[in-house]
Amino acid sequence: MAQQEMSEEQIKELQEKIKNMSPEELREFQKKQCIFCQIILGKVQSKKIYEDDKSIAIMDINPANPGHVLLLPKEHYAIMPQLSEEEIAHIFMVAKTISNACLRALGVTGTNILVQNGVAAGQRAQHFMVHIIPRKENDGVPFQLPQKEVPEAALEQVRKKLESHLGMQPAKGHAGMKAWTAKPAEPKGRSAAAGFPEMLKNKLISSINEAQDEEIPGEKIAGPSEQEKKIIKSSEQEKKIIESSDPDKASDEAAAEKMLLNHEKKNARESWKSRRSGKEGEEKIKKAPGKKRGGKEADINLDDIARLLGS
Amino acid sequence: MAEQQKCILCDIIREVIPAKKFYEDDDIICILDFNGANAGHSFILPKEHIPILEQIPNFLVGKLFNTANKVSSAIFDVLKVQGTNIFVSNGVAAGQKVAHALVQVIPRMENDGVQLSWPPKQLTEEEMSTVELKLKDEIGRIGFGKEAGQKANAPAAKKAPQPIEEAEGEENYLVRQMERIP
Repeated sequence: MAQQEMSEEQIKELQEKIKNMSPEELREFQKKQCIFCQIILGKVQSKKIYEDDKSIAIMDINPANPGHVLLLPKEHYAIMPQLSEEEIAHIFMVAKTISNACLRALGVTGTNILVQNGVAAGQRAQHFMVHIIPRKENDGVPFQLPQKEVPEAALEQVRKKLESHLGMQPAKGHAGMKAWTAKPAEPKGRSAAAGFPEMLKNKLISSINEAQDEEIPGEKIAGPSEQEKKIIKSSEQEKKIIESSDPDKASDEAAAEKMLLNHEKKNARESWKSRRSGKEGEEKIKKAPGKKRGGKEADINLDDIARLLGS
Repeated sequence: MAEQQKCILCDIIREVIPAKKFYEDDDIICILDFNGANAGHSFILPKEHIPILEQIPNFLVGKLFNTANKVSSAIFDVLKVQGTNIFVSNGVAAGQKVAHALVQVIPRMENDGVQLSWPPKQLTEEEMSTVELKLKDEIGRIGFGKEAGQKANAPAAKKAPQPIEEAEGEENYLVRQMERIP
């Protein structure tokens, strides 16, 4: 409202001012203008249901359904690509938990998690947020995704464009999945290990040690993605190095490299597997007190939802 | 296993059924919807057969949504759309059709027939407070507060290398995006 009352000159002045601002100043300025930043600072009242150092969850005052939650990063970001990978991972981990809480506490049979990027997608606030909307059958929420027929050729074009734009390696078989599920070929490995270059061997051993070290201090929640990434990155680099080195050694080293890769992959897989099972165990322990307080129904609720889908 | 054999998405992952796949790694796969809401409507799904989002381990949730974010950016750039929705339907009531959890990325344009907005429901102050308390209580019971606390204590080493990569690659994109912000 205040902006509409300004004269054109004032608006121009303001635009000029914004142009000349440093990124930090601009961020400060946006924060002052943003209602959600004011909520986060506690200057505007809200019904807060969750808060940690990076994110905050409040009840939507214009809910699609009772229990509609807005999940916001505390930092002011207008759009999703501004968030770091770590922040996105954190926000959606919280979103998963809140969705879980909705299913358990509100007696609903589903949830929608929704992000709106851009006005055309329904974004109204200048603060990135995730909507978590509890759902029941026939609850009157008018979500609709039309099914349009897109010609095969057009779809293939889109696919190619996306594939090349994402710059991720072209899809190749299931090497990763196989490495994960298949039993390691132990005896073969041993004979090959005799010809292992010393450096690679040491690397392998140290990587195993590292993995073991990492597991001890409360790593259970953080997940193995960082370690996995490291391994994938380093193995790619090593591949390049090997390819560029002289061809005679290359075949030998490539074989050894393969071994190392498999070992590392297996190691990473197993460590997250064990961490995962460890975490599940932890969750069970956490659930236990809930059951005493009558949380048993809630547990069944989750399974029911999965079963409903199966039928 | 029996479940897995019936699942159409698992068949796609095992390449029994052809699909428009544009990304794949050890844990996830990205495909295009044949009957999407708009051309470019994408599914990002875990390779493991997991029926609902709540059952997916946290690190995989992070990976799924980070990929969704990248796909969303790619859709912006490649298809020149005006927006994207990242959408998860959890449970039949929420519109989930296959018992294999997935994240949808939906390209958006004005008046494209996609309906993902809602008329606000009027709740009394009392209803709001009841729901608020129930949720607060349940989140406390699941024990997330504790989990988050531990994460905050985790080594800061992870944070260091991240922002640089992001900033450089995204710069142009961000500048362009700024103009699109409402």
